[in-house]
Amino acid sequence: MEYIVLIISAVLIKNILLAEYLGNCPFLGTSKRMDTAVGMGLSVIFVMTIATAVTYWVQYKVLNPLGLGYLQTIAFILVIAALVQFVEMFLRKFAPPLYQALGIFLPLITTNCAVLGTAILCIRREQTFPEAIVFAIASASGFTLALILLAGIRERLEISDVPKALRGTAIGLIMAGLMSLAFFGFVGVDGSLKALLHN
Amino acid sequence: MKEIVQMIVVLSVICTICGVALSGFRNMTADRIENQVLMNVQGPKVKLVLEGAENDLIADRKNLSVNDEQLLLFIGKKQGKDWAIAYETVGQGFGGDLKVMVGYDIEQNNLTGVQIISHKETPGIGSRVTENQFTKRFKGLHIDIEIDPNQCPGDIDAISGATYSSKGVCEALRKSIALYPEIRKQALAN
Amino acid sequence: MGLSKEFTKGLWNELPPFRLVLGLCPVLAVTKSAETGLGMGLAVIFVLTCSNMLVSSLRNVIPRKVRIASFIVIIATFVVVVELTAQAFFYPIYEKLGIFIPLIVVNCIILGRAEAFASRNGVIPSALDGLGIGTGFTLSLTVLGGIREILGNGTIFGAEIMWSSFRPFTFMVEAPGAFLSLGLLLGIMNAFSKSN
Repeated sequence: MEYIVLIISAVLIKNILLAEYLGNCPFLGTSKRMDTAVGMGLSVIFVMTIATAVTYWVQYKVLNPLGLGYLQTIAFILVIAALVQFVEMFLRKFAPPLYQALGIFLPLITTNCAVLGTAILCIRREQTFPEAIVFAIASASGFTLALILLAGIRERLEISDVPKALRGTAIGLIMAGLMSLAFFGFVGVDGSLKALLHN
Repeated sequence: MKEIVQMIVVLSVICTICGVALSGFRNMTADRIENQVLMNVQGPKVKLVLEGAENDLIADRKNLSVNDEQLLLFIGKKQGKDWAIAYETVGQGFGGDLKVMVGYDIEQNNLTGVQIISHKETPGIGSRVTENQFTKRFKGLHIDIEIDPNQCPGDIDAISGATYSSKGVCEALRKSIALYPEIRKQALAN
Repeated sequence: MGLSKEFTKGLWNELPPFRLVLGLCPVLAVTKSAETGLGMGLAVIFVLTCSNMLVSSLRNVIPRKVRIASFIVIIATFVVVVELTAQAFFYPIYEKLGIFIPLIVVNCIILGRAEAFASRNGVIPSALDGLGIGTGFTLSLTVLGGIREILGNGTIFGAEIMWSSFRPFTFMVEAPGAFLSLGLLLGIMNAFSKSN
């Protein structure tokens, strides 16, 4: 049951994009069209889950026993970069259709701070392994949800009369702000849910 | 082939140099970081727990080993004499570990104060155990008091709606009191 | 092209994050107050200048195929240096910036400058480029942080400046305020550069 609270919290309340401020570059970069948004979202779900699992293992089985906790940043970014390369090669060889769909987004994910951010957050919050995996999937789903919603809005904006100065990224940011305000309404739901489950 | 070898060599040389440089830098800053963490995370709480101590609590800390576990002991002095000790124990709250710092007057054997160092309780509900309203109730309790594992000592009621969190604090307190005779002995010995 | 131009271009023509719309996460996350914005900016200046210098001095040694990996290692090293320094000397700021200090490593501006500038130019121009872009970034963060702090909290660098009956717009220091104020500032910048 606690996982349900964790999922709701990660998708709606502490949405990685709209409340935790992670992964905004791809958020604005790939939200102009619906199909790129879907592709990016799916790639992030895929990579973030694997990356969190692998970095979790690296932290607890390699860095901590060796007393190298301070190398977390450097180790994680290398693991993620290598992992993305590996996933890309694997998909190209064994799942060409999937590679065709996600291929162009994969290199962009290395510098997506949502992936590194989620991996570090799991460690900082001292989550257990299953919690970390559920959290990663839920965060990535929250990312995809926000990305697809914004893409829907921006496709409509294409044909609206936006003031010249605001066209492009500026209006995208303002829309993201309004969405963030809407998601703000979920704050506190997790607390009440937890209390409800509890008593 | 030559190209691949060159690639691997360059990359590993860069990694090695960076690694060595970082571990050197880490060694230089390690002491200061430990101090800063103590000052900023535990420091303010320790000061509250040992209110009235006249010495620099962080500088006078000691490392003890009790039942094969490492423990950080803070010693409060009044007029140059050891007056009280404080250390941390862990209880299970609703959201996870609840770290609790408890201070003891070593002459009178009663509690000088209780503070929550860190917790993962629900904001606004379980987190109320960190408030002074709750923690001040423990002050002055004698260590001989019976603590039922499922209840809080004496007339201390759990905060309504935060039963688990309150029990977590009391669990930590129970563990803390169980360790007290041994730690007091060690603290007085040196 | 004079050397001073390498520095000044970062202050207007290529001012991040407004002209180069890159590295937005820290811009949104740490501008709750002018102080955190400034702290983050200084950290970025340090990492950007150092990594630019190192990348540029190694540009003839690093094989093309592993250049991105090498850049990432170099940047990550300086980020860890910043992380440890902040922890040892500026602990309160370190706590406020939290996860965003390690995340400097994936700030696209830094990798972008290493790839687009430092790997093609000498050490001195690269250092100036890093300093310039970094200073522009810091200014933007401090201004944005200042605006959000004044409106959302009624203070600047922690000092009360608004009249006593002023009611702060709390949402300005939360996520929605970050997106809205950055979007509006970007719009204002666009309007200005069009009229020039």
